[in-house]
Amino acid sequence: MKLRIDHIAKIEGHASFTADIIKGDVQAAKIKIEEGARLFEGIMKDRKDEEIPEIGSRICGVCPVAHSFAGFKAIEKAYNIEIKEPSLSLRKLMALGQLINSHALHLFFFSLSDFFGFKNDLQLINAYPEKTHDAIKLREIGNRLVEVIGGRSIHPLTPCIGGIRKSPDMDELKQLLSDCQNNLELAIKLAELFIGLKYPDFHRQTTFVSLYKSDEYAIYDGQIKVDKMIMKPENFMLMVKEVQKGNDVAKRTYFAGKSYMVGALARLNNHREQLNPQAKELLEESKLKFPCYNPFYNIMSQSIELVHCIEEAIKILNKLVKMEKIEVSEINAQNKTGEGLSVFEAPRGLLFYNVKIKDSIVEEVDIITPTDQNLTNLEADLEEFEKLGGFSKLSHKEKEDKIKMLIRAYDPCVTCAVH
Amino acid sequence: MPKAKRKPVLAILSLTCCEGCQVAIFDLGERFLELLTRVDIGDFQLAEEMPDVDKYDIAIVEGTAITKEQKRRLKIIRKKSKIVVAIGACALLGGPQEIKDYRGDKNRLIRQIYPNVRGIDNPNIKSVKEMIKVDYEIPGCPINKEEFLVIINKILAGNKPKIIQQPVCEECIRKNKACLLLLGKPCLGAISLAGCGAPCPKNNFPCDGCRGPRKGIDLDAMKKSLKIKARINDKDIELILQRFGKKNELIKNKL
Repeated sequence: MKLRIDHIAKIEGHASFTADIIKGDVQAAKIKIEEGARLFEGIMKDRKDEEIPEIGSRICGVCPVAHSFAGFKAIEKAYNIEIKEPSLSLRKLMALGQLINSHALHLFFFSLSDFFGFKNDLQLINAYPEKTHDAIKLREIGNRLVEVIGGRSIHPLTPCIGGIRKSPDMDELKQLLSDCQNNLELAIKLAELFIGLKYPDFHRQTTFVSLYKSDEYAIYDGQIKVDKMIMKPENFMLMVKEVQKGNDVAKRTYFAGKSYMVGALARLNNHREQLNPQAKELLEESKLKFPCYNPFYNIMSQSIELVHCIEEAIKILNKLVKMEKIEVSEINAQNKTGEGLSVFEAPRGLLFYNVKIKDSIVEEVDIITPTDQNLTNLEADLEEFEKLGGFSKLSHKEKEDKIKMLIRAYDPCVTCAVH
Repeated sequence: MPKAKRKPVLAILSLTCCEGCQVAIFDLGERFLELLTRVDIGDFQLAEEMPDVDKYDIAIVEGTAITKEQKRRLKIIRKKSKIVVAIGACALLGGPQEIKDYRGDKNRLIRQIYPNVRGIDNPNIKSVKEMIKVDYEIPGCPINKEEFLVIINKILAGNKPKIIQQPVCEECIRKNKACLLLLGKPCLGAISLAGCGAPCPKNNFPCDGCRGPRKGIDLDAMKKSLKIKARINDKDIELILQRFGKKNELIKNKL
């Protein structure tokens, strides 16, 4: 029996799925990417250093902050520049804002309908008007965090090499603080909704990879944690291989020859003990057991992170609003030649930028996006999808629905994958 | 007795791009939900997986058609739509993906990125506007969501919205004070089409013309100012002008 899903809806970008079911066994599971090649790594060459983040942010309109920062961080690494406060805190706030708006979008508008069998978000909105307003409000807080500091919520303007080029307005930061405080409860309620859902029963052991820092839930920077092992990003990259299957325009990524998972579920598996108090309490209430090898729980993990991010934003904002004045400055690097690798936790997982620059002109750029990495793991899951609880009893249509639900649980970003 | 008016069928469609313009529409939040109550959704992949419908009254299109399948789809979209609204720099100018066409080495570039290039489409980039007839344009990278809402509401009301042909400088808070160009930054505000609200210069970021040039500009005068005030050379100016794929537009405007 052939399984074929054309144009998977409610993911960012365009893709379809095919597989065979032979005697109840799923085989040749393949996500086919349907985006045009944009050759971002090529078009950045021979341009100025600062164009890496500017053009790079156009890879993805859902996580432009992640691309912008991964680009700046790689340049700063190449130039040996260290970011100082308050620029570092401001950048971290933007990163949190990005996670909040991306997670809220995916949780409510892309994923939730699957649990109720709605084929159209309008049905969802009509059934849950209050929750809809809550999700929209939370997204807006995420957007405001990026906008107040970054100057614009999509393709931010203020980040620059060495810091942030414009100080945010103090009154607007105070307003953001009170918005975050007033809406933390909404995030908790939304997380409770996702904790209460019934997730499909599916397990496949894999490797979880995330950023790691000893003193915080790492998003902006850190070492790489591979299950229990902690390593430098440079060492991790030595064991990573990007492979193009057939003529697919999105590459698949392997670590030590195997698939691995990045994103919210990987982060919770690797360093959940560093979550902020309310998020940690919710995770305990959920009674989810770790290590958790059920990828459907990536959805619930995002809802826990949503709470964590708002708590974290409150912490940072509290520190900033106590300052008399927020003064940022640009750093002018002396030596504009070098090579730098950066890694950043985008909403969907690790994002790598490796750049080579000579006299401020770009020579090489290599980008590995979260979805490049997760596609390998997702296809490996789908290859064993017959292990899904009750799979053999499902109708053809129900099987397709469950497959779509798993694909969406990964929150794939096809535009990122083809960059 | 007039028949009960049916709601117009609206489709929000995406070709190859970052999808940031669709995200900007989503970012309208409650106002977007209100808009949805006034239309029937024909196709909107980010929010539904219903079967497609035969006709659209209004099709909103972002991105560029790069693959053969996308080119085919774009033609079908035109055929089944009464009104096509192209949004964003990709649909209107070609977008950053057009940079490869100016380098003269696109076939080498694709080989550097993909070991197996057979079957991967790598055409010269054409904007939606160059491929099909477009009824309305909402430019920007990303679009200004406020401008989008005003324009869509006018279209829904049966009016014909027009973007006023004036430079970004008209909306710039630095106008007549601390002008970025006068401070030596390569700002294209003077030749670029307003309507964005000038967020870039407001944030100390020189305008790089993501909305394309306004009508009747003097490109040579702009280049001269950039050379004298921002102290950049012809090659640097070229690189900025290429950023959103605006070359075709500029040549046409000069004639």
